Amino acid sequence: MEPVGNKEELIRRIAVALRGHEGAQAAAAPPPPAPAGIGTEADRISRFREQFESHGGNFLSASAWEVLLPALGEELRMAGVVALFFPDGDAEARRAAEALVPFGPFTLISPAEARQPVSPLTAGLQTAEFAIAETGSIVQTSRGGTSLLPGLLPDVHVALLSPAAFVDRMEECLAAFGQDPPRNISFLSGPSRTADVEQTLTIGAHGPKKTVAVLLP
Amino acid sequence: MEPRSHSFYRNSEKSLADTTLQAALSRTTGKFVYARAASVDAYPGFEDVRSEGARIKKETLDALDRHLARFLEEAEKRGAVVHVARDAAEARRIAADIARQEGVTLAVKSKSMVAEEVDLNPALEAAGVEVVESDLGEFIIQLAGEPPSHIIAPAVHKSREQISKLFEQKLSEPYTEEIPELVRMARKHLRAKFLAAGMGISGANFLCADTGSVVLVTNEGNGRMGTILPRVHLAVAGIEKVIPRLADLPIFLRLLPRSATGQAISTYVSILTGTKRQGDPEGPEKLHLLLVDNGRSGILQGKYREILKCIRCGACLNICPVYQSVGGHAYGWVYSGPIGAVLTPLLTGLPEGAPLPNASTLCGACAEVCPVKIPLPKLFLELRADERDQGLKNPAEVFGMKGYAAVMSRAGILEAMERILGVLSRLFFKEGRVTWLPLKLSGWTGKRDFPAPAPVPFRKLWKKHRGIRPWNR
Repeated sequence: MEPVGNKEELIRRIAVALRGHEGAQAAAAPPPPAPAGIGTEADRISRFREQFESHGGNFLSASAWEVLLPALGEELRMAGVVALFFPDGDAEARRAAEALVPFGPFTLISPAEARQPVSPLTAGLQTAEFAIAETGSIVQTSRGGTSLLPGLLPDVHVALLSPAAFVDRMEECLAAFGQDPPRNISFLSGPSRTADVEQTLTIGAHGPKKTVAVLLP
Repeated sequence: MEPRSHSFYRNSEKSLADTTLQAALSRTTGKFVYARAASVDAYPGFEDVRSEGARIKKETLDALDRHLARFLEEAEKRGAVVHVARDAAEARRIAADIARQEGVTLAVKSKSMVAEEVDLNPALEAAGVEVVESDLGEFIIQLAGEPPSHIIAPAVHKSREQISKLFEQKLSEPYTEEIPELVRMARKHLRAKFLAAGMGISGANFLCADTGSVVLVTNEGNGRMGTILPRVHLAVAGIEKVIPRLADLPIFLRLLPRSATGQAISTYVSILTGTKRQGDPEGPEKLHLLLVDNGRSGILQGKYREILKCIRCGACLNICPVYQSVGGHAYGWVYSGPIGAVLTPLLTGLPEGAPLPNASTLCGACAEVCPVKIPLPKLFLELRADERDQGLKNPAEVFGMKGYAAVMSRAGILEAMERILGVLSRLFFKEGRVTWLPLKLSGWTGKRDFPAPAPVPFRKLWKKHRGIRPWNR
């Protein structure tokens, strides 16, 4: 439908309300000073880990895939996962999912199957775009037609992180998009939670009940 | 909802007698206050961030016309359809028209205070849309047919037993006292709704002017589901939600979760810009933004402008001794606690909201925790003065206050009064307590005893202690 309501009139009304009050003509202030950096790549990763774990997330790292895969398989098996999916076009996630199959009762399902109201206990694997050290957040976006389903629908979200994905603060992450952010930028900080019943923290409201961040070897 | 703020005193009486509510309030507010303090302590730069947040909000409001115009332009450039509503009735009409024209029959909604303010749900339901609240707290009170009682914890007044009975009745689920079970039931029920809904309705925590982005902050993930899965997204926001730049957002993301729940960051932050793009596997094809004025441009004009800085964290509610005692419903409208005590009279008119600015001891705790430094107690006093100017104060109270001012500004009269009261106290209040006062003064003795004036006033004791005698003064 066409836009409704008179926008020009609203702006005029506000301008009139502001007339004669200090500051109405004030020049734009300079952007806030950039916060101090966290340090080296290793510092960023360890800070991320500390924050991500404080949100209830699981962090896995290993020097080689041969060590990592059994550990990740064990995590997923313990969570009761029986199905794995990855978004189309995510080569890293596909490789990880396929390599995981021998390490548990896992079958690969398609994103469309993961979208069904009743699906088997599923883990969604995806390469993360950024990881923010300050807040312990995994960043997934829709940039370049990327799907957001792996961090949204399944019971378990597995984010694959390359060491280059880590940034100090939220500022650096947002600056990477400039004035043209993708349709959806999501900061994901641990499993979905609610405290709406008697202020008692309960995990797994609508989103994943378990989140695993995997540092790629 | 129809405001019932004029009957604040009666509402409070009811809340104070409600034992379930009293237990819930002491549990909740205490937890929030403690969590906020702990997270602020753990973040040494908090005070600087707070100053920066207050500065950015002030900068925005002082040139809101420019920032809002920029937001409209950028959002439209990226495919959003922007609607503006002058008042609540217009907002309801526009939302119903959107739903009708988009052919929506089921909508999933995440928390929005402004949607409560304009009473969106009944209008959508009248247009044939089933509106399902997806925030667990909102879902619970929707099933119960009640308004929210806290900005970020709308169902604080409900016990698990009450919630389970609701689920038994409305969702045909078996009775349980296990909270994770209750959450699982809601998840199952709402997941089906998310996947079937034609429209997701959300509020907005922030609107970024330079990119036309809508920012949503949630813990449950319902805000994400409703803005990724359905074909249409309708975001409703007050015009004051604008911040100048996307680059300003991190400041507010450091303030909001710490002030609200004591988290360093909320679980989910969604920054939503425009509609589904070519090659996107999911996302809304249509994005409608409904910007609501409903009295805000009027507030901008006067001495209450700073109240529009509010980012709706709820910290002032939790810390307020009045809110802690009476809870949210007593305030009689959508907004409660100190923020409600200012917003309600400004948005609904002073006669309606008149009791609220008086529902404060002026202790100042709210201003101390406010992440954007709104001088709430100062605004209470301004509103009280307005009430007097508009003749809304009881003449006896005005007379009493004048007398009080006259005594307090003259040391000699004050001393004489103290001595007279001291003598009366010795004669009438032997126990050192006043147990009964007449008429309006009964507020001081109705629920407890008022301490009697000291038989020997402090000044007299002080002079005696210092060895000052009237004759050698």
